[in-house]
Amino acid sequence: MDTAIDIVLKFAAITVAFVVVLLVVAYTVLAERRVLGFIQGRLGPNRVGYGGVLQPFADLLKFILKEDIVPDKSTRFVYVLAPVIATMAALMTMIVYPFGPEIRIPFTSITIPLVVAHFDIGLLYVLGITSVGVYGIMLAGWSSNNKYSLMGGLRSSAQMISYELALGLSLIGVIMLAGTLDLAQIVDLQSGWHGTRWFILLQPLGFVLYMISAIAETNRVPFDLPEAETELVAGFHTEYSAMKFALFFLAEYINMFTVSMLATTLFLGGWNVPFIDMFLVRGTFLFGLVSALGFLAKVIFFLFMYIWIRGTLPRFRFDQLMNFGWRILLPLALLNIFLTATIIYFFPNF
Amino acid sequence: MLALLFILFAGMAIGCALAVVAQRNPLYSAISLVGVFISLACLYVTLAAPFIAAVQVIVYAGAIMVLVVFVIMLLNVEQEERGRNRLKFLVPTAIVLAGVLIAEVAFMLFSVNNPTPAVSNIGLTSSIGTQLFTRYLLPFEITSILLLMAIVGAMTLARRGGLLSADARVIPGAQQLPRSLVDPRATPDDLRLVETDSTVEAGRLLGIDQRNTQKD
Repeated sequence: MDTAIDIVLKFAAITVAFVVVLLVVAYTVLAERRVLGFIQGRLGPNRVGYGGVLQPFADLLKFILKEDIVPDKSTRFVYVLAPVIATMAALMTMIVYPFGPEIRIPFTSITIPLVVAHFDIGLLYVLGITSVGVYGIMLAGWSSNNKYSLMGGLRSSAQMISYELALGLSLIGVIMLAGTLDLAQIVDLQSGWHGTRWFILLQPLGFVLYMISAIAETNRVPFDLPEAETELVAGFHTEYSAMKFALFFLAEYINMFTVSMLATTLFLGGWNVPFIDMFLVRGTFLFGLVSALGFLAKVIFFLFMYIWIRGTLPRFRFDQLMNFGWRILLPLALLNIFLTATIIYFFPNF
Repeated sequence: MLALLFILFAGMAIGCALAVVAQRNPLYSAISLVGVFISLACLYVTLAAPFIAAVQVIVYAGAIMVLVVFVIMLLNVEQEERGRNRLKFLVPTAIVLAGVLIAEVAFMLFSVNNPTPAVSNIGLTSSIGTQLFTRYLLPFEITSILLLMAIVGAMTLARRGGLLSADARVIPGAQQLPRSLVDPRATPDDLRLVETDSTVEAGRLLGIDQRNTQKD
């Protein structure tokens, strides 16, 4: 009986997490269009609802109502499967992030943790699921039976394989400092110094390397070669239309959200809001609420950086991308591991 | 509950494994193999070995199979002839090997009387790390040197295979000419290349298209 209740509660938690994530993602798209409009000296969508706040729902309706085309010469089964893999892999990572500390519901003694699943290996789980997400893009490119799609798919997989290395290695420093792969414990370790002992202060190089590889890993400007419209039409999703295209779009934005949350969790102290422990007692409802909002604010800051970078930088050339990944990021990540290990060896109590 | 999950994931693993063999299209076989690896990872989780499960997904499903799928996509094996007759001699070998496998499974079933309990700390990250860096340090280091050798070997083979010599550099957008065409002193089997920044310069080096040379 207890397991049944447990399963129902887990499903409820997953649903809440997914709804929150999808809402944030929908408004990230809107924010991207408005902020890009501002950067480029135009307005952006501002007609649906006040200032365009209903635009995401209008877009969704449009995606659902559009004609869903499956190309005649495509490999139908894989063609339909690819967006499913991409979206599923993107959504599956959501469940391990600690959105906040455990909170007590007011006037009761029930405490609930603000995390869906608590894993011993949360970080590895995220990396593993992310690496499976490559299949969605590869298979989409292959099954469309179109040279632009195939080129986009190949480019994307080559890029993701290359930058996954730098991404993984840039996190080793944090793992060495924390001594655990459990995301909740990593966040707890950063709560020292009144909630400001963030790992970005101890791992500045690791943070920069992580952010660069994360942008490449999510195929965003300036590393958005898989969908470089000047060369490849739209890359791997050239042949996709209606809701299948929307799923790829969704997966890309969820992945942005995921890497932003990982950056927040590992480098910016997760839900730790600086100096909040001077005013509120840990474990109370208000403390949990402020912490969760702090987490969201940090994630939104990263999302804004993504948009800002997109509005600022031009695109890399493919050979530049590969050279940068293998010859600059990878050695620097190894150097970071070496430095961290040396410092930990000589100052074990730092 | 655990038994139910075991039946689910074991069934998935066996189904995907059968699909690997049965599919005619090599890409479908590769995708089914990914399915096998993911089901195995789920089984590891139910056996309280989350670290091994994560590594299974990252290494096999996320890295090795991605490269396999990559190669299949690039070669487009689908359109090549599948030499089924050429591989006929493998059928008796396969039967013998299957017999050995079944014998092994039977041996395990009948000889292992007290299996280790499902809940243990063997599969946890810290215990694996401690074991790797103390008791199994030598095999661990030897394995990493083996992998390094494989990487160096692959790079050497790839670099020697092509027309380019080791000191030739490829710059996209630039023109490259065989040295024997440009330099009279070079021997015909000299595979080094001469780089030029533009088509015009390539023409000048080859002694054609003088008009553009003067414009430069």
